[in-house]
Amino acid sequence: MTTQKLELVCPAGTPAALRAAVDSGADAVYLGFRDETNARNFPGLNFNREELADGLRYAHQKGAKVLLAINSFPEAGNPGPWTKAVDDAARLGVDAVILADVGLCDYAARTHPDLRRHLSVQASASNPEAINFYAREFGVRRVVLPRVLTVAEIADLNKSIPVETEVFVFGGLCVMAEGRCALSSYATGKSPNMTGVCSPASHVRYVEEGDRLTSRLGEFTINRFDSSENAGYPTLCKGRFVAAGKTSYLFEDPTSLNVIDMLPDLMAAGVTALKIEGRQRGRAYVAQAVAAFREAVDRAAAGIPVGRVDLTSITEGRRQTAGSYEKAWR
Amino acid sequence: MSNTSHTTPPLTPVLIAGFAMRPLPPALLQPFLGLAMRLLQRRHPGVFERLSSVDAPLFLVDPVDLPLRFVLDPDPAMPRLSALAEDDPPPEGITAIIRGPLLALIDLMEGRIDGDALFFSRQLTIEGDTGAGVALRNAVDGAEIDLVEDVLSALGPARAPARRALGVAGGLLDRFARDMETLRGAVVAPAMQKAETQAAALRRLEEKVAGLDKAQRRQRRASTP
Amino acid sequence: MAARLTLGPVFYNWAPERWRDFYFRIADEAPVDVVCVGEVVCSKRQPFLDPMLPEVIERLQAAGKEVVLATLALIMTRREEEGVREVCRQTDLPVEANDFAAVSMLAGRPHVVGPLVNVYNEGTLGYLARNGATRVSLPGELPARSVGRLAAAGLVDLEVQVFGRMPLAISARCYHARSRNLHKDSCQYVCADDPDGMDLDTLDGEPFLSVNGTQTLSYTYVNLAAEVAELQEMGITHLRLAPQDVDMVGVARCFRELADGAREAGQAIARLDALCDGIPFSNGYFHGIEGVGAKGPLEVVE
Repeated sequence: MTTQKLELVCPAGTPAALRAAVDSGADAVYLGFRDETNARNFPGLNFNREELADGLRYAHQKGAKVLLAINSFPEAGNPGPWTKAVDDAARLGVDAVILADVGLCDYAARTHPDLRRHLSVQASASNPEAINFYAREFGVRRVVLPRVLTVAEIADLNKSIPVETEVFVFGGLCVMAEGRCALSSYATGKSPNMTGVCSPASHVRYVEEGDRLTSRLGEFTINRFDSSENAGYPTLCKGRFVAAGKTSYLFEDPTSLNVIDMLPDLMAAGVTALKIEGRQRGRAYVAQAVAAFREAVDRAAAGIPVGRVDLTSITEGRRQTAGSYEKAWR
Repeated sequence: MSNTSHTTPPLTPVLIAGFAMRPLPPALLQPFLGLAMRLLQRRHPGVFERLSSVDAPLFLVDPVDLPLRFVLDPDPAMPRLSALAEDDPPPEGITAIIRGPLLALIDLMEGRIDGDALFFSRQLTIEGDTGAGVALRNAVDGAEIDLVEDVLSALGPARAPARRALGVAGGLLDRFARDMETLRGAVVAPAMQKAETQAAALRRLEEKVAGLDKAQRRQRRASTP
Repeated sequence: MAARLTLGPVFYNWAPERWRDFYFRIADEAPVDVVCVGEVVCSKRQPFLDPMLPEVIERLQAAGKEVVLATLALIMTRREEEGVREVCRQTDLPVEANDFAAVSMLAGRPHVVGPLVNVYNEGTLGYLARNGATRVSLPGELPARSVGRLAAAGLVDLEVQVFGRMPLAISARCYHARSRNLHKDSCQYVCADDPDGMDLDTLDGEPFLSVNGTQTLSYTYVNLAAEVAELQEMGITHLRLAPQDVDMVGVARCFRELADGAREAGQAIARLDALCDGIPFSNGYFHGIEGVGAKGPLEVVE
């Protein structure tokens, strides 16, 4: 197996973030339209068609690719926004679409066979059989792996599938299998799968009680921070709860994934691309994270130790984890 | 409204400047704010389009180290920014309140710092409709605002000397900020620690009460026919 | 035609004998038509159920039930994939796929698609029908509008969960183990301590979710007793009951009578309330609001 340089895939919530990512050394930028067709349907975020066209020009001039995420699940009786997103992606010339829904994969494969298709993490394809299914049935060329696998499992997986794999290396961390989580809609009625949001800001309330900050989602208290504690999103799976008489972050601490020091292992595991999470984050975050990973990827490719890079200031709760890549996480 | 308790009691150069500004009536600022909005509307119309997902929002921006607050009405047709004195009541129908030290708010506006990072470190708070607050943050971050550049663009031929002057001021401000940070740590840290201990004790007590509540509710249910 | 009743798989780690006896009683007494058996949540529990499976299947079949083998929800290791392949390879019993790996393995022959597979629209439903699915159990998140539209497509038999905790998430991480400071690999099977799930309360002491090993469920029991008539009018052919640690025979009788139009919804809810010992009910997902919500006769009057 020839070791190729890892491709760095970076988030862009706005045209400004896209330029920041490209200028900081992204090989590819992923983004979404400003509607419910993608899993970061946050207020004030994302691209209209004209902004995508401009972004494509900017990225292509500088040798970067643009990937369009259409990775929520089309609503029954209302496929229009999703099929139109795929059509527009083909018309505008994006380098690939990132899809999750089987019906939409089927539509894209039949209607735009030449449009490159990646499988979103939202499809939760976590094993060779499932990945081969999407490759065989819909000509998917790359799979974004769910954040449930260890590096050893990824290496094993890469030997049994005919497509590229992309893995998350930095940013927010889903602890549940992505695309198979309805915690958000249980509390708010809005979910990643149906509305493209998780723990939506519209249902979040921060209440200051003296020197403490309480975060509420819908009708539920998700967390409470003392003045000395760093805060986190009131995402359900990063909340503090009581189980068996004990208060803890049962699902996951407020923390960000960061495996910048594992890049050589991921290369050896046969991974093609690295993904930085954070389309909802500011362009300062994008610039900082992308620049750090650009250097790390180049070093890893040259066989130089990656070294320590401090990204603490942009991590959630100012803490980091290697997540599922290490088995003890389970 | 007197929500003045903040996790990092700010003692920034802006605060010092704030004392000097105290006698300044907000009305005097209004022409400058009006100009700033017209500039923003001309140079960064995308900000207002990005806010269109929120229905007619009205923001209260509260730089905690200034004796002033700002009301932002991002109406795409006629955006308005107005200043309020500390004691002035805010208008009805505020959608969200954004609070933080002025320098942090400026950094945020110029996209130099990540809003989530500010929030995680508790320097920034959003009260009220969090969705609207997040929309504003995202819209502003996407606009690539550069206050100096934006102002200079309005100045025309006077640009170059002005740029030098602003550069010097920026550097001075930075150094001043670092010095003040050291001072703040020395003055404020001991007081913070005490509050900390009290908060922890209070939390333990609350957990106990919550546990009792649950046990009681269970019993009540079990005895219900 | 009145809808048929499906008993979903037991999600919890019940002691093998108890698990077996539960199904024996279902076989003997419960008016359900279809029974799904098999471990869905954690492959580590599988070896304990395997020895019981043949006699359970036999007893259920002898009682005239359609027995369906349910597959694992999250397949991560080779061993897990092989386990699912083995289930899909046998041809004696229909299989319910809970992951697209199983959908792939079952291609070209009749099978059931379980509620843990994302079926949100006609496009996906159509694909699955062409792939061989004869019945699809819809995800619990779907609102009535979507359920109605999918039913109107008339492609396959459709099922909706009408009772029991709603499965909300599955993870590689075991939260039962984590709650005892253990790792999944050395979990000591502590999930067996909570036959109806472990309560997860908010910091205010309000019960919110329920943890079952790697699975997270709603604390509330879904209860669509008042919506059974509407579901049948839409053309939903199967109503699913998720086994909880309550008298499931009583629950099944209740829904049988509802489906037959032999009992008023209000009466049924009162009966279910008595059977479920104060656990709150919800029907929010079906009504297009937050899942935990309760509309209509479920609304609690303080």
